[in-house]
Amino acid sequence: MTVVAQGRGHLEPITRPKSISQRNLNLVRELSITQFKLKYTGSALGYVWSLVKPAMLFGIMYLVFSVLLSAGGKSPEFPVQLLFGIVLWTFFAESTTLAMNAIAGSSDLIRKAYFPRWILVVSSTGSALLTFAINTLLVVVVTLLLGQLHLSWVSLLVPLYIIELAALVLGLSLLLSALFVFFRDLGHIWEILSLVLFYGSAVVFPLGRLHGALLSIAGLNPIAQIIQDIRHCLIDRPGVDSMATLIGPLVIIPILATVAIFILGYAVFNRLTPKFAEAL
Amino acid sequence: MKPVVEVSHLSKRFRLPLDKSTTLKYRVTHWRSASRYRDLNALHDVSFDIPAGQFLGIAGPNGCGKSTLLKILCRIYEASSGTAVVNGEFSAFLELGVGFNPELTARENIYLGGAMLGLTRAQLHDKIDEVLAFAELEDFAEQKLKNFSSGMQVRLAFTVAILARTDLLIMDEVLAVGDASFQEKCFETFNKYKREGKTIVLVSHDLNSLEEYCDRVLLLNKGEVIADGPAAEVTAAYHRMIADHAMATAQDLPVAHTLGDLSRSGSQAVQIMSVGLLDGNSQPSRRFETGDPLILTVDLLAHRDVGDFVCGVALRRSDGVLVAGTNTFLDHVTVPSNPPGGIISIRYTIDSLPLLSGGYTVQIAVEDTTGKTTYDHAHPAASFHVESVGGHIGLLEIHGGWQVERKDDVAADGAVTART
Repeated sequence: MTVVAQGRGHLEPITRPKSISQRNLNLVRELSITQFKLKYTGSALGYVWSLVKPAMLFGIMYLVFSVLLSAGGKSPEFPVQLLFGIVLWTFFAESTTLAMNAIAGSSDLIRKAYFPRWILVVSSTGSALLTFAINTLLVVVVTLLLGQLHLSWVSLLVPLYIIELAALVLGLSLLLSALFVFFRDLGHIWEILSLVLFYGSAVVFPLGRLHGALLSIAGLNPIAQIIQDIRHCLIDRPGVDSMATLIGPLVIIPILATVAIFILGYAVFNRLTPKFAEAL
Repeated sequence: MKPVVEVSHLSKRFRLPLDKSTTLKYRVTHWRSASRYRDLNALHDVSFDIPAGQFLGIAGPNGCGKSTLLKILCRIYEASSGTAVVNGEFSAFLELGVGFNPELTARENIYLGGAMLGLTRAQLHDKIDEVLAFAELEDFAEQKLKNFSSGMQVRLAFTVAILARTDLLIMDEVLAVGDASFQEKCFETFNKYKREGKTIVLVSHDLNSLEEYCDRVLLLNKGEVIADGPAAEVTAAYHRMIADHAMATAQDLPVAHTLGDLSRSGSQAVQIMSVGLLDGNSQPSRRFETGDPLILTVDLLAHRDVGDFVCGVALRRSDGVLVAGTNTFLDHVTVPSNPPGGIISIRYTIDSLPLLSGGYTVQIAVEDTTGKTTYDHAHPAASFHVESVGGHIGLLEIHGGWQVERKDDVAADGAVTART
């Protein structure tokens, strides 16, 4: 008999936890951490890479929009606004792009093992959230030390907006990942749409620079609203207004849009789930 | 006592799209052609129960629907009609090591693979030393999986697969991956499960194992249960069936129209769906001139994952003389069967047809990379006619260069030396 056949000892099977949601949550956690780990192992600088990209983007955008085009006007808070905008945007863009491939890129798992398919999408968002959390923490600490943050009671609302952002990203991720299985050109379409959203979300200029109809249109976009409101919460200064101040009661629309996108993504994903294994 | 598995009037129909509608652009520009697909009835009105404690084997020729049935039991595929209910916890091994990541260490893979089974990190944490010991990998816990030998990988995968306590074990030819001693270890484990009163479903080609271990065997053919009974009886019936209609059972799937009347052979795990000839403008053609481009198109359907395989083409003159032939393996082209179920379109482009006037036929063969197993073979798969205008004779147009020089000093009679 060769080595393979000689299992030593006795292995008593483990009883799975009764609660299905406990099993699912555990799998989400394992997959998120694994993805996060795999993304940064194997490269010498590891996690630093996730900082280099937004830092470069910040440098370029600062040079172009603040120094050359003076997009910030006379606002001394503009660089910090830009920094927050870029960190939030990077999370949005990276997590949706990553999620697009969450189902289509796991064809082996989908065709050979059973577990709720949404776990793959939630884990993908989860690992992006991990990177985002570390980036945010760093940026907050640095700007706080530099005295660039102007915190107040409204700063306590930040977690709410982060939840809104997570819901938006998750809804879009569910939608994109499910549709990408069937329409492989969605990647290109989303890339173009992202570019439109990037400039439409006032990442690289203060939203206050827009006026009238243009402001209202930009303000209806949930990602613009989230970025603007988080900026307002952390930089409580005139000129960094909340979305409600800027567009009035219309602010309900981006919030409702987030809810609608989440429901749509969930519904489309649920509808297409049984077809994944056959389509891949 | 309630049966562990209840399958009732289960049918599964696959819709195989005939066009590549995997882009939005295509959907938008071809919105009228939404219904171009071929139906494949993988399972038809299958009903059976498995009582607790039974060891059930499922056998049948390739494409009979056994893997589909298993995937429906594991909830990977959805039934088209009918129901398949599993009462209780089940573990499915459709493949060992699903979800393992080669970049992770053995320890990390145990946590990940365990999580796939529904086990939590805390539960696994208490067991990890025992698991590593069972897999005989104590000294390799922090080594990355990619550095493991295949034997070590299989040991780890198998150990993780049997980690969760389960009422029903569903397995699809897992045994095919290991060597004889590994298979023995698998069956040892099955016997242990059996003694503990667990229910086991095993799909296998190996009739001897089925006969030895199973209480009952289900024989499927063309998506229907054609025999269901004690293992010895059903496997004997299957042996007879193979002997009686060796060819008929192999060709259990409808063949594409264009190839309907051909002499075919092979296991049909990968099937030639259609063969076409195109001219330089990508228009179907059967008449070519010497020097014209010729494009041979072959559409294949992999019914299951057989790994990478080889597609070969040969051209024969109408009287059967083999003129030329090559295959993807010789030309270093990889043709994967994974994921199975989709149409694989292969184009073989001859920039300039060297054949001279005559009638020719195309022979297509689909084999595994060792050339030992033929999945499909078709001859004649297509035929075409060549006309040449240059007046060359023979089989092939040769492209030599002529040089003529006069050497007056050598021969007084003015002989000409011709060289190519």
